[in-house]
Amino acid sequence: MANATEQKPAPRFVRADGPDKVTGSGRYVADMSLTGMLHAKFRYAGVAHATIDKIDTSAAETIPGVVSVLTAADVPDVIYSPVVPDRRLFAQDVVRFEGEIIAAVAATTPEIAQQAVDAIVFEYTERPVVDDLEAAMAPDAPLVHEDWESYAVTGDTPRDRNVATFSSIAKGDADAGMAEADMVVKGRYVADGCHAAPIEPRGVLAQWEGTKVTIWTSTQVPFDARNGVCETLGLASNHVRIIVPHLGGGFGGKCGFHFEAHIAALARDARRPVKLVFSREEEFIAPDRRRESMIVDLETGLRSDGTIVARRGWVAVENGAYTADAAFFPQLAAMHVAGPYKMDNVKIDASLVYTNRQPSGSVRAPTAPQACWACESHTDELARALDMDPVEFRKKNAIDTGDTGAVGQVYDEIGMQECIEAATSAIDYGKDLPENEAIGVAIGWWPSFPGPSGAFVRLDADGLGQIVTGAQECGTGAVMTLRQLAADELGMDPEDFQIIYQDTGVGPYDTGATGSQTLLNNGRAVVDAAQQIAEQLRVHAAEQLEAAAGDIVLVDGAAHVAGSPDRSIPIPALAEVAAEGEQLLGKGSGTPPAYPDIPGMNCVGDQGVAAWAAPQFSCHAVHVRLDPDTGVTRVLNVSCAHDSGTIINPIAAHGQVEGGVMMGIGQALTEGTQYSDDGRQLNAALLEYKLQTFADLPTITTAFIQTPTTEAGPRGAKGLAEAPNVPTAAAIANGIAKLVGQPVRKLPMTAERVWEASQ
Amino acid sequence: MTHEMNLAVNGTTYPLTVDVSRNLLSVLREEVGLTGTKQGCDDCECGACMVLVDGQPVNSCSYLAVQAGGREVTTIEGLGTADDMHPIQAKMLEAGGVQCGFCTPGMIMSAQALLSDNPNPSGEEIRIGLSGNLCRCTGYQKILQAITEAAVEIR
Repeated sequence: MANATEQKPAPRFVRADGPDKVTGSGRYVADMSLTGMLHAKFRYAGVAHATIDKIDTSAAETIPGVVSVLTAADVPDVIYSPVVPDRRLFAQDVVRFEGEIIAAVAATTPEIAQQAVDAIVFEYTERPVVDDLEAAMAPDAPLVHEDWESYAVTGDTPRDRNVATFSSIAKGDADAGMAEADMVVKGRYVADGCHAAPIEPRGVLAQWEGTKVTIWTSTQVPFDARNGVCETLGLASNHVRIIVPHLGGGFGGKCGFHFEAHIAALARDARRPVKLVFSREEEFIAPDRRRESMIVDLETGLRSDGTIVARRGWVAVENGAYTADAAFFPQLAAMHVAGPYKMDNVKIDASLVYTNRQPSGSVRAPTAPQACWACESHTDELARALDMDPVEFRKKNAIDTGDTGAVGQVYDEIGMQECIEAATSAIDYGKDLPENEAIGVAIGWWPSFPGPSGAFVRLDADGLGQIVTGAQECGTGAVMTLRQLAADELGMDPEDFQIIYQDTGVGPYDTGATGSQTLLNNGRAVVDAAQQIAEQLRVHAAEQLEAAAGDIVLVDGAAHVAGSPDRSIPIPALAEVAAEGEQLLGKGSGTPPAYPDIPGMNCVGDQGVAAWAAPQFSCHAVHVRLDPDTGVTRVLNVSCAHDSGTIINPIAAHGQVEGGVMMGIGQALTEGTQYSDDGRQLNAALLEYKLQTFADLPTITTAFIQTPTTEAGPRGAKGLAEAPNVPTAAAIANGIAKLVGQPVRKLPMTAERVWEASQ
Repeated sequence: MTHEMNLAVNGTTYPLTVDVSRNLLSVLREEVGLTGTKQGCDDCECGACMVLVDGQPVNSCSYLAVQAGGREVTTIEGLGTADDMHPIQAKMLEAGGVQCGFCTPGMIMSAQALLSDNPNPSGEEIRIGLSGNLCRCTGYQKILQAITEAAVEIR
């Protein structure tokens, strides 16, 4: 049974990195300097698709202060990327998007490096720009990768020309189901790409000592970055150390392996430390992690009693010029256009399509906000066709505990229905509203990602603790919460612990700040490690107190004999004893929670994201006001309900939801990448690419439906960081559609698009 | 062209020779050595570089260093310390107004300017007063709470 919890819990402790961050003493990569440090700049292609005729660096190399100039000829010829390896560090023969790197320079000042970059002669012959997803799938379309068949693809990955990967999800017989339907509703939904846009532009600083390199970098995934450096430069894993000082946000944009190898190669060649700091424009154009544009066609067959009998779908997901980590996006998008609904007959085909644009990659809940927007806009159209209230339609058709979803997974204890009830009742859905206001509702879901993860915990002789973990903190507070988990196991205070984290040379492996997985996986590792120390403490206490170790409890910083609170000894006293012999050291990793088995699943191109472990559910209800003269939408109130399992750190959890909502409002109304006809970004600046500001802040309320979940993280915690980003844009869309009389079929729903739809 | 100047930052005067084209942000970070002020965009859109010049909030990315000659510059390092935090700093932490922290110094400096000018701001006045500071993590709501609570404590 699920239950809603308190809305504003009291803080238990202040985040360990907090004092660094509020005093300005916390160091980010851009804040670091090393003696003899040079500055790097990249020469970008500046053209979306072209054959390279000549790259001449000779003039650049003679500029005083220039120490190193590198091109493809200066690094090993390695083609990298997971699943579909199709990319090199530097362009070779062909450039496929404007932000592709053709050369890198290290010089004594950033200005000289830029001067050298500008002096590089780049001659090329333009090729046709592939920028239309449907046209790119035509048999005679120009190819983004002419040698696509030669790539060493792994897994069940169907491909064809500009289709980099294809997946389908299927259950029952969609055609037969559609034939049985009393009515069929069709719709097309088109989403623009958009950006993670962390406030910190990324930085990389590399320094060699002998055959080993240390790289300080603003990555969300230190081990992934390390492996990328090793793969592309041919280095052993224990010769590359990745350290992330404080990370200024990521939202998926800093996942993956980016520019660490370029800077390491420059530093090796220059025999000096080299530092790269991106401008805001580079942060928009160069990374291979941009939220993908998408076309969704949906067709749903309904019975007149309001049940869904069949759904067919066709999805084109933009890959961009290279396949970063997007190989699983089609299957994930298909899951989201199916949505958390009961339906017996489903067939959704989804393709990842190459274009000559910036590569797509995991940005906060990849594919979900756009696909949920399409699915949930469509859901309101279904309700309208039935003349049924859209919330009632969802209550009738959304999955509940024990129901079967779109690929045949049977969901155990879930809080989907409770989320709908909590979010809509908190906003008083159905209340009378002024003429230009409406409440839109959308539901969403998102998987948790179990994986390997490790941590060490130790108590020193004074009884103070250190958590050493490979996990990465990107701001969410997930790593900060590890203190609470360790402290609870040991009967200590979170403030008794410090954390050493995001350093591949020190902490055990962790996937990083990706897939909302930190608390789920590393939390489990820390609990495991802390329990080992707890056992050591109980043995020491048993000796001191002349009791059985099994009777010792750890509470309030001391070990007690159960039932005899007077017979106790402070933990620091035990730590002092232990320090003379076997130290208080715990190491944790353990077995990740299991992925569910789906007997008879018949998905084609399975990339492992159809069977969802510890699935998270959400409902957002959004009160909007529309100015009919201008098409400007104002979001007044957002009521959220989330089933992310047990909430361990309430302040951080509420912060995740509120931040996800604001990002969702941006995606709904203002954030979309605009391109010129020749494939170049037109709004690669914060003046033209509008994030939501403080002035746009609505009231945001959140209810957590804490459904008990067995195959999950510590205490039944699921993921949370991405889920709040899933349904906000969809809910706003449904509010707007009520006021306009029809859906706005393009995302973002800018004032111009809303106004056009209302005419 | 370079210019010799004395730059007063957080109560200390630094004798500097700077190119006249350099912005205050780069001089604070690279010459004075105070890196708490952040560079987020370079075109006055994000507010991460906010400092006070004679008490007034300024985007230091778009303010020439030489303009600050003869004036008092206050950066995040001049506000409070980890052991003795300014109320805005303490409330930002208590309320959960800090996540990645990159916007935080600029946000706190804008809040300090606002509260110096208006010790009892309404929620709407806080929203407008801080609308030049972008935060991508928190959704602003906990920062609103923090500044509201800090204003009460300061009064």
